[in-house]
Parts: sequence; structure tokens; C-alpha cells
Amino acid sequence: MVELKIGQQIEMEFGGKAKVLKIIGSGGQGIVYLVEFNRMKWALKWYDIDKIKHPKEFRRNIQNNIADGAPSNRFLWPKYLTKELSDGSFGYLMELKPDNFDSFVDILNTYKLVVDPFTGYAEKKPVRFSSLYAMVTAVINIVNAFRQLHRDGKSYQDLNDGGFFINVDTGAVLVCDCDNIAPEGSNFGIGGKPGYMAPEIVRGIAKPDVQTDKYSLAVVLFRLLFRGDPMEGERVVKDVCLTETSELKHYGQNALFVYDPYDASNRPVMGIHDNVIKFWRLYPDYIKDAFIRSFTVGLEDPNKRIIENEWQQLFIRLRAEIIKCDCGRTNFTTMFGKNDESTYKCPKCGSIFPTISFSNHDFRFPLYAGRKFFDCEIDMDSNEFLNVAGEIVANKNNPSILGIRNCSEKNWKVKMPDGKYYNVPSGKGFQIWDGLEIDFGNVTAKID
Amino acid sequence: MNENAKDINSDADDPLNASGVSKKSLVIFFVIDTSASMKGKKIGELNTVMEELIPEIRKVGGADTDIKLAVLTFSTETKWMYSFPVSVESFEWIRLNASGVTSMGKAFEELSEKMSRNSFLNSPSLSFAPVIFLMTDGYPSDDYKKGLKMLQSNSWYKFGMKTALGIGNDADDDMLKEFTGSADTVVHAYTGGQLAKMIRIVAVTASQIGSKSMTLAEENKELTENDVFASKQKLLGQQIQELVSKDDDDFSFDTGW
Ligand SMILES: [Zn+2]
Repeated sequence: MVELKIGQQIEMEFGGKAKVLKIIGSGGQGIVYLVEFNRMKWALKWYDIDKIKHPKEFRRNIQNNIADGAPSNRFLWPKYLTKELSDGSFGYLMELKPDNFDSFVDILNTYKLVVDPFTGYAEKKPVRFSSLYAMVTAVINIVNAFRQLHRDGKSYQDLNDGGFFINVDTGAVLVCDCDNIAPEGSNFGIGGKPGYMAPEIVRGIAKPDVQTDKYSLAVVLFRLLFRGDPMEGERVVKDVCLTETSELKHYGQNALFVYDPYDASNRPVMGIHDNVIKFWRLYPDYIKDAFIRSFTVGLEDPNKRIIENEWQQLFIRLRAEIIKCDCGRTNFTTMFGKNDESTYKCPKCGSIFPTISFSNHDFRFPLYAGRKFFDCEIDMDSNEFLNVAGEIVANKNNPSILGIRNCSEKNWKVKMPDGKYYNVPSGKGFQIWDGLEIDFGNVTAKID
Repeated sequence: MNENAKDINSDADDPLNASGVSKKSLVIFFVIDTSASMKGKKIGELNTVMEELIPEIRKVGGADTDIKLAVLTFSTETKWMYSFPVSVESFEWIRLNASGVTSMGKAFEELSEKMSRNSFLNSPSLSFAPVIFLMTDGYPSDDYKKGLKMLQSNSWYKFGMKTALGIGNDADDDMLKEFTGSADTVVHAYTGGQLAKMIRIVAVTASQIGSKSMTLAEENKELTENDVFASKQKLLGQQIQELVSKDDDDFSFDTGW
């Protein structure tokens, strides 16, 4: 391939030149350089043109994607194409990944290698989510990004762990490697990564599309939460050596989910798949059921795969069911245990958590200082899952008394202990009491 | 890490308290001729390119594959650089010296012995079939056929990806083909520049294919076991040949190694 030289000037499609500053990464299809263009720093992905099956169509597809624009700001989308060199090779510019984002690969590894530029010595630095809230938010962001992409009529094609950057403190997500994204029904020769590819692609009877993206998305989510491979269990490990034949068998023809309820022959193995064994029992049934569906009926029948909106609803619920106790325990409600019908109890310190029920949800939200409500939870017409609509706050004079602050733009009607309803405008708060009722507009909530 | 975080860490129920995902391992065996004829520029160039190659291979594994290196050198005797395969993340190249004769047969026997579930390939989780990369500049001084026969009956060798680099005028490509089982995965270097280039092409391509690629159907037709058998070896051959043919510094080779 034609490697670019440091200092080389690359002509851009619509004029101007990008100056190559250094290499920042490499992948299966080419090399990523740091470049300067229009007095700004950019990432230049430069293709190894020999590895692209149909370079002309591939280039035209990127051109189209640039013209269409990104589905949302969660994508590191191609911005400008370069001109082609004499041998046909070319690249495109995209924005640089911000420093506070880590690659999904590093998150799965739980560390990243930081190489000292002077000694060349590689040091391991831990990478992990700083809160459970951030991890579940990352899941929602990933699912939502693919929902937006698919709504634009496009598919990602080779969805895998190399495709995301995540901020481990906030759960913000950036989808990268957007160059194989193509309109539904097109494919430019990309297959995918073993372990992430839908079984029908592995078997050779289908090409990547929106339905195979859904399978890969389920694998990505499984890996993020359970930190293992959904198809690698006892039966696969028995093979010892993963040859081409065993890959075809275990990820294609005879793929079997490790927690298939009707076939226990591929369960995770203690000592190898400890993460999966440990985390599977922590999650509520509605999450486990969604994965079981994805990897049993969804294995065979692409139309039975979980759609992005359903994942989104399930994980918004999971986020609402996180309890953060003052004693340091943070977990899902399933791991706290019920004190009675309407309260949870911390198994570590015994603290009791009241709950509130919403007219549009069939589960109860635990209440504790610091928890937030979001627009989509209190407004039937809202899809906004990151806009904070309300927050539980502790009383400044007596921290054991909790209140709710209205962080939304709307006016709420709240029933106080005197039995009367009062207006609570944006920015104001009120005390939580047994019998509280809130009218948010088209949704109501009450503590009973 | 603050006190609070430590407390959460000790909680066995913590959904964040993960260890790294279980990885498949891929061992790359480098089998390197260090006989006297390698002395000087050849071994110097080889040492340098190997040192530079390691950070490149580090990036290949990702979150799925733990790439390990095992280096076997042979001259009069055989010798492992480390007594077990070492993860590329912590691998440090020890510069090699050259002296003695070319006991390649002995090297094949030693390789076959260590390429076993009870020895070098004892990872408890899954392993990919290994990559075996032979580099030599001469003809074996011992009975290599006996050693090769032993190797050919080893199933890790059978499923592994075999590739070889002949260095200089005296290396015998036919013999190397016998080792790899296919002509496409044998390359040749006549200059220092070519040597560095070939080692890089072969090692990086083999580790990429070894840890990632999967056969993709050309048409929509269900793949059978026959279609995929040894497909990685074939793919490696194709890619090596494509990359080698792009070799543009075709100026006359250096006869004064
Ligand atoms: Zn507690």
C-alpha cells in the first residue's frame, strides 16, 4: 500500500491541502493519520486500496454519506474526501476523537496500553466505567445511535468492538469507522468480525444488512454487560483449537447461546468465562429474556431479533432501577431485595428505599438522593432519554428528608399532605411524603 | 483510587467489577536460522525489524485475541528465546547472535515437541491454530526430512498457518515449500530492505488472519467444511503474494551481505 510520509501534502477533493503530521492508528482497511487542514487538526483515514474490493463504488458511497450527513452527533462521520492519487488510493477526513473517550476494546480489556514515547515501554492503565449509571447510559446511547442509523435507511455492516469510543464517566458514545455504512441492500465486500457476525453471514447465505446489524448489536451489548462471548461455552472450548471448521460450526451452522434455556450443553465454563457466570445472575429477567430471544429464536430468524427501540425501552427501565446506597452499594433493584410491596432494602446496611409508581410504567422507581428522572419517563410524547426532568434532592437542613426538584420546563401539579394540589413550576421542589401524587401532564405518578 | 471505589471493588455483586474478557490465544512461532552465515547484516537487520514489529503486532489482537510469541533459534543447537510463549504486550526482543551450522531438522523436532497441549499450547481457553514462520538463509546441515515428518504428524502444525522466508542466494525455496505445504506462503529476500519488508508483511498479515479473518462466501451459497478447510492458509498465500508483488524497490540486490 502507499503509506503517506510525515509532512506530505494531500490534495482535498474540493481544494486545499491536508498536511500529514503523524500516524495515530491502523486497521484492516488502512492507516489513520493526524493531519492539518484549514488550520484545524483532523483524522485522515487513508485506504489500503488493495484491500477494498470495489474502490470506485466504495468511494462513491463515502461521497454519498458525506452529502447525507451523520444521523446524529453520536457518529465520527466522514467529512471531506481527498483527491485520488495516481494509483487510485484516497482517504477521507473526520473529526478527531476527544481525549476523554476510550475505545470499546480497552473497556473490554479493562485496561489500555500507554506507551512511553521515550522509552517505548508499554504501561497498563485501568479503564472502567466510573458508575453503573454511566455504563447503562452507554448502552442506551449505543442502541439509540443504531436506531437513528437504521431510520436513515442505512446499515453499519461490520459492527464490532472496534466501532465505538465511550466516555466511561458519562456514558457518552461515539460511533467510529463509519466508512462501510451503506444504504440498505448494498454491500461493498465487507464481511465482519468473527464472533460479531450474524450466523447467516458466517454460513455464507446472507450479506450484511440491517437485520444482521441487529444481531451484531446484541453481541456488542452482551459483551459490554456480561464481558464475554454469547456463543463461547463448554461445547466450543472442548474443541481446544479453533480451526476454520470449528468457527463455521460454532458461529454459524450450530451456534448455541451459552444460556439457551432448552439446551445446557454450551454453558459458560468456570475458570474461563467467570465474568459471564457472575454477571448473568445480577440482571433482571426482562434483560436476560431479551438476550435469550436474540440468541435463540433470533439466531435462526432475523425477523425475530430485538428491534433497537425495544432495547432502548428495556435499558431505560434498567437505568431507572439502579439504586445507589450511601453505604457504597450500587446495583439493580433485583440485587437489593424487597422490604415490602413498595420499598427496597439494602442487603449490606439495611437502608430502606421508598418507590414511586408512574401511570405509564408497570414497575416502581426507587427513590434516593441524587436519582434523576428524564423527559421520556414523565412525558408520553418524549423520546429524550438524556434530558433531566426531575431530581431527588436531600433537604439542606435535614438530609434524611427527601424532596423532588422540577428540572423540566413544564409546570407540575403536586398533591401536598393537606390534600390540595399545588403548582410546582420549573426550578422549584417539594417534599416526598406517603400519599404524594404528581401530575406531569399526560403522565401521573404517586407514592402509595 | 479513593476509599469509596475500593469498597465497591470488594463487592462480589458489583456489575462493574469485571475482569478482562476471556481471550482466544494465538501463538506465533518464529523459527529463526542463527547459523554462522547469518552473521553481520542479515542478523542485524532481522533483530532490528523484530524489535520494531512487536508494537505493530500488539495492535492486532484487540479485545478478542491474546497474541503470544515463541521464538526458536537454531544453529548447531536449538534454543528458545523464552521458555514459554510470551504475550506480545510484554514481549521484549533479545537480540540474536549468529554462529554454528544449520540444524534445521533438530529445530523441527524441537518445535513439534513443544507444539502440544501439554507444553506451549496449554492455554485453558480457546486457541487459534498457530502461525509458524520459518526464516533461513541456507540449506539444512542435518537430516531435515526426519524432523519435518515428525512435524507433519502434529495436528497443530496441520491446522496452523505455515509461512517461510528465504534469505539471500543460498536459501532453497523448494525445501521451504516442503515446510509450508504451499508455494504462495514462501517469500524471498535478497537485500536488507527486502528482509525487513518481508518479515513485516508476513508477520503482520499472518497475525491479522490468524486472529480475525473468517472465510466469506463469494456468492450466496451455504459454506461447507470443505470450503473453509485450510482457508486461512490460502488467504495468507493470496495476501502475501499481492503485497509482495507491490514491492517497488526493485533495484539490484546487495551481494555483499
Ligand atoms: Zn446500603
